[in-house]
Amino acid sequence: MSDIRRKRVSAMCRLVASLMLALLALSSCNRHHGSQGLAVKGRGAMDSTLVIAMLGDADYLNPVLGSTVTSGNIIGLIYPSLLQSEFDTTTGLMNYMALEKKLREVTPGQGKKDPKGALAKSWKMSDDQRTITYILRSDAFWNDGKRVVSGDFKFSYQLYGSPVIASARQQYLAELIGADRGKVDFDRAILTPDDTTLVFRFYKPVPEHLALYHTSLTPLPAHQWKNVKPDEFRHSPLNLQPLGAGPYKLKSWQQQQEIVLASSRSSNLPKPGTIPLITFRVVPDYTVRLAQLQTGAVDVVESIKPEDFTRLLKANRQIEIKTVGLRVYDYVGWSNIDQNEYHKSGKVRSHPLFGSARVRLALTQAIDREAIIDGYLKEYGVICNTDISPSLKWACNERLVPHPFDPARATALLRAEGWLPGPDGILQKQGRKFSFVLYTNAGNARRNYASVIIQQNLRSIGIDCKLDVQEPNVFFESLRQRKLDAWLAGWSIGLEIDPLDVWGSDLDKSRFNFTGYQNPRIDALCELAKQKMEPTGARAYWLEYQEILHRDQPITFLYWMKETQGFSRRIEGEELNISGTFYNIDDWRLRPSANVAL
Amino acid sequence: MLIYILKRLLIAVPLIFGVLTLTFFITRLAPGDPAAFFIQPGISPNVAEQIRAQYGLNDPVPVQYVKWLANVLQGDFGRSFSRAQQPVFDVIAQALPITVTIAGLTLVANFTIGILVGIISAVRQNSFLDRFLTVTFLFFYSMPEFWFALMMIILFALKFPFFPASGLNEIGAEGFGPVEFVLDRLWHLVLPLTVLSINGAAGIARYVRGSMLEVIRQDYIRTARAKGLPEKVVIFKHALRNALLPVITLMGSSLPFIFSGALFIEVIFAFPGMGRVTVDAIFSRDYPLIIASTFVAGSLVVLGNLFADVLYAVADPRIKL
Repeated sequence: MSDIRRKRVSAMCRLVASLMLALLALSSCNRHHGSQGLAVKGRGAMDSTLVIAMLGDADYLNPVLGSTVTSGNIIGLIYPSLLQSEFDTTTGLMNYMALEKKLREVTPGQGKKDPKGALAKSWKMSDDQRTITYILRSDAFWNDGKRVVSGDFKFSYQLYGSPVIASARQQYLAELIGADRGKVDFDRAILTPDDTTLVFRFYKPVPEHLALYHTSLTPLPAHQWKNVKPDEFRHSPLNLQPLGAGPYKLKSWQQQQEIVLASSRSSNLPKPGTIPLITFRVVPDYTVRLAQLQTGAVDVVESIKPEDFTRLLKANRQIEIKTVGLRVYDYVGWSNIDQNEYHKSGKVRSHPLFGSARVRLALTQAIDREAIIDGYLKEYGVICNTDISPSLKWACNERLVPHPFDPARATALLRAEGWLPGPDGILQKQGRKFSFVLYTNAGNARRNYASVIIQQNLRSIGIDCKLDVQEPNVFFESLRQRKLDAWLAGWSIGLEIDPLDVWGSDLDKSRFNFTGYQNPRIDALCELAKQKMEPTGARAYWLEYQEILHRDQPITFLYWMKETQGFSRRIEGEELNISGTFYNIDDWRLRPSANVAL
Repeated sequence: MLIYILKRLLIAVPLIFGVLTLTFFITRLAPGDPAAFFIQPGISPNVAEQIRAQYGLNDPVPVQYVKWLANVLQGDFGRSFSRAQQPVFDVIAQALPITVTIAGLTLVANFTIGILVGIISAVRQNSFLDRFLTVTFLFFYSMPEFWFALMMIILFALKFPFFPASGLNEIGAEGFGPVEFVLDRLWHLVLPLTVLSINGAAGIARYVRGSMLEVIRQDYIRTARAKGLPEKVVIFKHALRNALLPVITLMGSSLPFIFSGALFIEVIFAFPGMGRVTVDAIFSRDYPLIIASTFVAGSLVVLGNLFADVLYAVADPRIKL
């Protein structure tokens, strides 16, 4: 090889090597985001860091704007809260706590949440239930040393209520003075006579538990945000530098990669976080999240599928699966009304297939719900009778007997309704075949599994059910516009019962009444229950409500699902609660990795 | 040549503009609503309306188009709906370095391995080595990338935990020194780069093999051998240069890949690159971000083709532009 050629080759090699280095440097150049803090190295960093795998990134770390589950979890650690709340599993009621007061005394063994994190010392509800007055503690400080004062709450509620900011929590302001006329009158609705007194005034009597729930929105520091105009609020750079007062503060946020929180040494709400660092890592792929839990690269993975439990626990004994629930159920929706007619003329007419309650009951009895549970969810699924969860013990009607899987009875019911087998074995009535498409959303293995069993069950009694899987956005849009005759979907319920949006007879107002089910008694029961100042006083109404739904079967309720979370055993002190996986995360501790044998 | 390049660039302007207009209407007409996330029980129905008003989605589509056009002509592609209202080019600027790193390193590996294997296969045509390489590379070529990636993770991150399963750096890497940091990043890139390189190199090897076989049968190669030139010189100097011409087209068409990202790999290995930005934008109906990604991808396809044509002219004196 001549000298020139050798030089050329070596120059080329140098070029490629420098190109590769330059590329690496390019991708590494944004590594120092956020504040500098505790520097920890290599594997040892895991000893002081709890790693939580997330499906997606937080949208905002601002309580007024944050609307994803991840945002909610992180905001709960950074910002202070007026009250502490806890779900009492023995009654199914929410409890609210200030430093020196509780809404209700809890059953022994319950009530593990420490009220020291609350900003409120106590509250007083007026006799007419139209005013709630909080007394705030005077020793709470934002991370910059400024005191947390009642003015911060008034300022924050104005942000929550601003139509320009469009916070997803506007509904919480629905009872404040002025809201009945379309605009909250903040000067009259929220009063701050001094820094430690905060008064909320309502235009109507409000039950105490609801008043506590709606007035305990997370505050922002007014002194930090006061100069930000509402139309700049959503894209203000301050959103990337959250100023809180809770047990943790933001250390760094590399968008779509990870959020690192560091224990806030100065916090007394309730105390600095026990674990020095918490990293929320974005890992979009489910299989990879599982692999990372298995190798110990992450400590917590949510929503593990039941079919993976055995393999996971066998592969690594340092993993445990914890369950909590029941808040989520799947159902088959049947359009009760003729949607085409309703769209054309606005008239409500029974659906030609699913308009009759007897037909819907037959469909429920034709579906083998136990088989779906046994085949997929196993012990993590429970038959669902109505949309009031068995976890809400105070309201759940335990006398309801699930409709059994009984194809013979289903056939008899359909025959009584005039549906008789045609020459091809498919049921017919007045020349119309019992044939329809069951839609569901793409990307949900559980629903795919259930839909195939439903199709087989219905085919065995002479019903032709075709399956169609739609992209989630398209599916939701079709549901919202009431375009579908039958679908398989699910709901996650709130811990306060308020089902009028889903079952209300006014189809324009009840946006989520996709079936078009109408029953004036259901409307009346929901209204009567709302008027009770103590939730347990409405128990009789909710029992009747469930009996009606069980009888009318506006939809076929399939199963409740327990939420299943994978934890590394190096975490100690975690308590799962229906109100959230990370409800006592500030009390979790980590065992050092040396003790962890993989 | 300069005039030719200028001409092509001028033609590209209406072409890209047409692509953007088409994208604008397709995204607006597709079912789905950017404010759909805010339509759920417990959220006031006003919120979705307020969000739509903020995004300017309550206007008729032609009015939205005129407004969009006015903004784009001033270089303003808008703010992302789904990513905290960041300007769309800021979102792209955050994702690009990661994508460029992965794709750049992949391309270097792709072409190096692909060309080498292609040459060996062609020179040793029909030998055991040729057949072995052909079958092996076809096996990897026909394997779906996402499946291959998952198998690599199961094998090398789970069964034999040599490499990390995902992420760009180790927990606590911000405390590392620069060298440690780069090494840690390289360690994280081993699995994804292997998946992408093996898959891509297989295709290139097939091209190079075919092209080499054609070239080494030419008269001038026979002449070179007849002159008594060593085989190395014949292959690398006379044959390879000519055989690489079709590969230049591949280089040009790889340019969009460098910037648009490898979606499956980015999702599986949790890299926040361009592929994920684009697909997340599509699923969340983030119109401004979809259009900006299309703009980047469209421009690169045009530039990539132009780049390939110019390289052709540079490499082959018979081609005049």
